[in-house]
Amino acid sequence: MSFFLSSTIDQAYHQLAQIEAELKAAMAGSKKIITREEWEKKLNDVKIKKEDMNKLVMNFLVTEGYVDAAEKFRKESGTEPDIDLATITDRMAVKKAVQCGNVEDAIEKVNDLNPEILDTNPQLFFHLQQQRLIELIRNGKVEEALEFAQEELAPRGEENQSFLEELERTVALLAFEDVSNCPVGELLDISQRLKTASEVNAAILTSQSHEKDPKLPSLLKMLIWAQNQLDEKAHYPRINDLSTARLEDPNV
Amino acid sequence: MPTSTTAAGSNSDLVTRLNSPDAEVQLKALRELKNRIIGNRTKKLSFVKLGLVPAVAAILASKAQAQAQAQAQPQPDHDSNLLVQSAAVLGSFACGFDAGARAVLDAGACPNLFLLLSHPDDKVVDAGARSLRMIYQSNMAPKCDFLQDKNMEFLLSLLNSDNENVTGLGASIVIHSCETTAEKKALCHAGVLKKLISLLEGSPSQRDNSLESLATIMKSNVEAVSEFVGCESGRALSSVIELTKDRYPRTRFLASMCLIAVRNTSSCYLQDIGIKTKLVHLLLELHEDPGQVGDEAPFAFSSLISHKVDLQKLALEANAIDKLYNHLQKNRLNPKRFQGILLALADLCSKLESCRSRFLSLQALNLVSEALTHDSSDVRTAACICLRCVSRSIKNLCAGNFMNEMIVPPLVRLLDDPSTSVQVAALCAVGNIIVDFTTDRSLFLQCGGVKQLVQLSKSMDSTLRLNALWALRNLMCLADYMCKLGTFMELTASSLASLICDPEPFVQEQALALIRNLVDGCMESVELVFAEDDIILDAVGRQLQCVSRDEIWIQGLYVLSNVASGNEFHKEAVMHQLVPQADNGAQSFILKFLQSNESQLRIAAVWTIINLTFPSSPSACSRFVKLHNAGIVSQVKSMVNDPCPDVKLRVRTALGQFTTLNDGAT
Repeated sequence: MSFFLSSTIDQAYHQLAQIEAELKAAMAGSKKIITREEWEKKLNDVKIKKEDMNKLVMNFLVTEGYVDAAEKFRKESGTEPDIDLATITDRMAVKKAVQCGNVEDAIEKVNDLNPEILDTNPQLFFHLQQQRLIELIRNGKVEEALEFAQEELAPRGEENQSFLEELERTVALLAFEDVSNCPVGELLDISQRLKTASEVNAAILTSQSHEKDPKLPSLLKMLIWAQNQLDEKAHYPRINDLSTARLEDPNV
Repeated sequence: MPTSTTAAGSNSDLVTRLNSPDAEVQLKALRELKNRIIGNRTKKLSFVKLGLVPAVAAILASKAQAQAQAQAQPQPDHDSNLLVQSAAVLGSFACGFDAGARAVLDAGACPNLFLLLSHPDDKVVDAGARSLRMIYQSNMAPKCDFLQDKNMEFLLSLLNSDNENVTGLGASIVIHSCETTAEKKALCHAGVLKKLISLLEGSPSQRDNSLESLATIMKSNVEAVSEFVGCESGRALSSVIELTKDRYPRTRFLASMCLIAVRNTSSCYLQDIGIKTKLVHLLLELHEDPGQVGDEAPFAFSSLISHKVDLQKLALEANAIDKLYNHLQKNRLNPKRFQGILLALADLCSKLESCRSRFLSLQALNLVSEALTHDSSDVRTAACICLRCVSRSIKNLCAGNFMNEMIVPPLVRLLDDPSTSVQVAALCAVGNIIVDFTTDRSLFLQCGGVKQLVQLSKSMDSTLRLNALWALRNLMCLADYMCKLGTFMELTASSLASLICDPEPFVQEQALALIRNLVDGCMESVELVFAEDDIILDAVGRQLQCVSRDEIWIQGLYVLSNVASGNEFHKEAVMHQLVPQADNGAQSFILKFLQSNESQLRIAAVWTIINLTFPSSPSACSRFVKLHNAGIVSQVKSMVNDPCPDVKLRVRTALGQFTTLNDGAT
């Protein structure tokens, strides 16, 4: 990772502000041109600690749940994860269960992990139950689906108007012969499972006092934003392809 | 229904399995029960009714006590599992569900859950602490008496624990139990405040717990605030200020609560415009949060701006009224949030006319009017309070902007609301709206408003009587004779007389104030106090002699003063009250009022004398002689240099009249 990157977002802002200030001072109405040499010199002046970079990688692996990779990375780099790696395994098991459609199993696992999560998060609980209903409908268990909707979901709908609307939308699946072409067909889509799975994942992370999103993507977003700001003021070697982070020569 | 039979069947089966001698069977039953109740209030309720809580508590009790006796000897694995599962079940019953918390407490589970905190297995400690935290987050939980040393020691041991769930429990106990200043002081002395400050450096959840506990302890506790502000030369305060920028909305919210507690308790801290503006903007931004933070944000905002004109101005500049109004426009607001936003708007409009006019220019009154018929009584109450604050605008009252079909009929209906707090709030709003300086009050009368008010003035609840009389008093203010007569007929002289002698002094005061307005103005209206053999006037006279409260005397004297502005007959009746016929050496009570330290009372007394001695009235001279003989004239003369300019002015008028009468007599 050779691009302009700092371990904390605050530092990144700070450096950006500095560059901006320099640019403003240098600018006299027209865009400044910064050559590759100048730019690389500036980049080299920014000191980034290797440990900070490693922490960033570890944070990504842990948050996204790559437990084996995190373990290997810990051994190779000596970076300690900020969370017990065993909890990642539990969390991934929950996520995987939802992704495979075993929602009941996932709920039990979450409750074993920490009973507070679903008790204090009605929206997440509803979405899991809704997903369970979707799976019943997908498997053609109409009777069971209706009973489940009535027994488990209807009372939640009475407590919350928006739940009721979501419930109605889900039950509507039963009214169509060809569900894949019906207006609410997207509920049966695999993306619905992924959405629910990531919601559970985030809730578990929060309950473990861990941030629910990895830091890396927001830093990349910030890089794009910073480049867009700079574009208005200067021509400089830009990173266009984030996967290679190659500096492109400025085309003036 | 077939479903309910199967459900009931499996439920009673669950009871049997919980009572099974086989630990494996019990464990499976506990897990099943846990997975059925988590997140499901309906299930919690039905299982509480089935009596499952005592069965679970019994499992916990037997295993927890066995463990305590074994004193940290490792117990079989399934025993730990039973402890974890039973604690989790009990915690879930208590979570967000008062009836469940009640059942758990009644089953005597708390002492056994506390035993789990010293278990060698971390999982058991976690489960016990979580479960207790759920219980202490309910209003049902018993208060912990911090004034007892052993409780304080125990609390400190919780806060000093390495286990995050246990420190969280300590914080929950503080938040739940800390109420009186004595308790708050005891917590500071025991070092709880310092400990909580150190937890600000902990994990996100410890930080949040610490912020909430700190806010609780510092609220109305000057000592705690100065300890907190002085801690490590202000480092604690600056780290809380820093936390208002945290990435988690809940942390930002709790940090702002903490700062509001500091500000509201000690007005010498956090007064610079920067921090004030920051808090206003932060709280307005937190209204956007879709969850609990957004529900609580309006209440925190209210506590920030309530009674503080400077902050209300800042809020107006930050577009607070527009922003709150935008939230109010959203469909399906939950009742708590709806209530909070209405109350926040009420506070914003409580003092500044500029806020009220912004509010009214947005047509926000339409939404408030809709809220008057909301299902939730809290929302209806809040709508009335909002209406009351907005209707303090004299300009809009004069324009008759509240006396319309949109507001008055639903408001009058609320006078009959099943909830007393709604009725009281509605009465307060009515009280303002009927102070109508220009347009007529016919709409209010047509809606049956007067009938309702009169009925409430006879309520068993003294707050309702008070506010009903207050509203009637305002209704009578500058009203025409027909309106007065109608109201009087509805009220009747005898019940007015008994309200003058109400057991509650503040009701007496309002009743007298009502009569004062009733008899103000035309001659016919003065006649009203002579109905039913002067029953009202006699009651007023009695109150002036017997009661000893300045507020009551002031209103009573103005009644006499207004009556004394009537014809000869009226004036003589007042004389009769002032100067007792039988010369038994008793002093006239008006002397005591003329000598009072309360200038308002002296003014009212002098006014009465002025009205009685108005020189152009035929018997003024004879009344003057009587007043003179009673020592009243010389008392008034001695007041010529009264320290209060108003009194002095009135005394001079009286003295002028005395001279005229003297000249006429000689």
